[in-house]
Amino acid sequence: MKHLPILALILLFAAVPWIFPSPFFLHLMIMVLMWTVLGAAWNILGGFAGQVSFGHATFLGAGAYTTMILYLKLGIAPWFGIIAGGAVAALIALPIGFICFRLRGPYFALSTLAVAEIVRLVALNWESLTAGPVGLLITTLPQVSLLGSPINWESKTPFYYIAVVIALAAVLATAVMSRTRMGAYLLAIREDIDSAEAIGINTVQVRVAALSLSAFLAGVAGGFYAMYLRYIDPDAVFAISLSVEMVFIAVVGGLTTVFGPLIGAIFLVTLGETFRERFLVGHLIFYGAFMMIAIRFMPEGIWGKLRLLLSTRR
Amino acid sequence: MALLDVKGLTKYFGGLRAVHDLSFQVHEGEILGLIGPNGAGKTTAFNLIAGFIRPTGGKVLLEGEDLVGMKPYAVTRRGIARTFQIVKPFKKLPVLENVVLAAFLRSPSRAEAESEARKVLETMGLGQKLSAAASDLTLSEQKRLEIARALATRPRLLLLDEPMSGLNPTEIDQATRLVIDICQQGITVIWVEHVLKAIMNASHRVVVISQGQKIADSSPQQVVNNPEVIAAYLGKRSSEDAVR
Repeated sequence: MKHLPILALILLFAAVPWIFPSPFFLHLMIMVLMWTVLGAAWNILGGFAGQVSFGHATFLGAGAYTTMILYLKLGIAPWFGIIAGGAVAALIALPIGFICFRLRGPYFALSTLAVAEIVRLVALNWESLTAGPVGLLITTLPQVSLLGSPINWESKTPFYYIAVVIALAAVLATAVMSRTRMGAYLLAIREDIDSAEAIGINTVQVRVAALSLSAFLAGVAGGFYAMYLRYIDPDAVFAISLSVEMVFIAVVGGLTTVFGPLIGAIFLVTLGETFRERFLVGHLIFYGAFMMIAIRFMPEGIWGKLRLLLSTRR
Repeated sequence: MALLDVKGLTKYFGGLRAVHDLSFQVHEGEILGLIGPNGAGKTTAFNLIAGFIRPTGGKVLLEGEDLVGMKPYAVTRRGIARTFQIVKPFKKLPVLENVVLAAFLRSPSRAEAESEARKVLETMGLGQKLSAAASDLTLSEQKRLEIARALATRPRLLLLDEPMSGLNPTEIDQATRLVIDICQQGITVIWVEHVLKAIMNASHRVVVISQGQKIADSSPQQVVNNPEVIAAYLGKRSSEDAVR
């Protein structure tokens, strides 16, 4: 019975293309779901482990380029390419983690920013692999049949369902992780690294593991993003603004919560799009104002606040 | 063989000599008091033993194994647990979870870790506070939580860094009894303290350090009458008075 609301939520998401068939709405939903995955990825490290990263676009970009390059140069289908994108992002996270986690607090945050810039510049200049600023473009996606009929990649519906599956996996991964010993260790690290070490937790190893899981999810989202847009360049997938957006979604939704990133993505993506449409000039001012209000009045995030209200009501 | 054998431990912070050529031994089942005036290097010595700071020189042998260069978590896994002078609880987490996290080290399943943690908290007199957030406890309770967390890692050697500071006389008596109880459970204790009365009552042996160096190592009674110790605490003049 406890899982009934969750089941209802999944059914609702499954029914969206029938209820709202407009391509614009589906595109919005796809963006919401993709940003849910990115917010969830950031939340594992920034929320649970309390390690603020300003460089998560690194992993989004790594996933996007891996999926794209595998498809273009080796003809590997995106189904596997997206997973490979996550794996490559997780792999890249290992050296980054072992180096940056020697630093603490704001110094760690700054080092992630530096790493992200380095990676962006490498992607921009390694032209034989990434085509540099020109970017990579795919024209056709592979023919796939589902239940006898070929999937129409020109429609947004198949992308929507793929996004639902990935977002569900990300939320599930967070929920499962938060119940394991590793999840408990992350909270200990968030609270006090010295105390965590003193009770025998290898805090570097645990933080690297969290970063790796986080990077995997961001990489998968990146791979999906590349296949959905069919075009990527370094500024589209390695931009600092993407890293910052992930922070916003996790924080506004509710740090250290399982559903926070979904709520954060629903609010910020739809608001961002609405403001962009209404106010062609200066839409970021409204976006910024919303951020300020949200953080001022709901420092625990929208979902965090709701949970608090519900628990006091009971 | 001594349980812990500290040999020539030395730490320089730049030009500052925090600990210089410090050697002492701790035997199984003992309560060793470590005292000295402010800034003598007591906490630094703890940080060196527990792996939080890397020494400039010297050795820390736990049953013959050198711990120098190990990270704090590795030292804890080998059986040395510590508390912090300024308490460092996992503030936002419940009291029980604070200790469960430590119990995970020896009992990987949550059910086991939880029952272990409950037991330890009960002996520390925190059995009624399991679901309170650690930050809501009084200082005396937080100090006990700190000890409970250390005990939950099932140490052989416990390093207590000023567990009495900030406590009132009744609480000090309570805490002294706790330390003696811990020792009777078979855990060896090194205890840094400013409250001399408590340490003189409970310790089997006292090591005195001043300006990073050991100046006395004997029974509590002998230490209080040692002119060099009196000089370190009260200054040269009064030690001459005392001798007279």
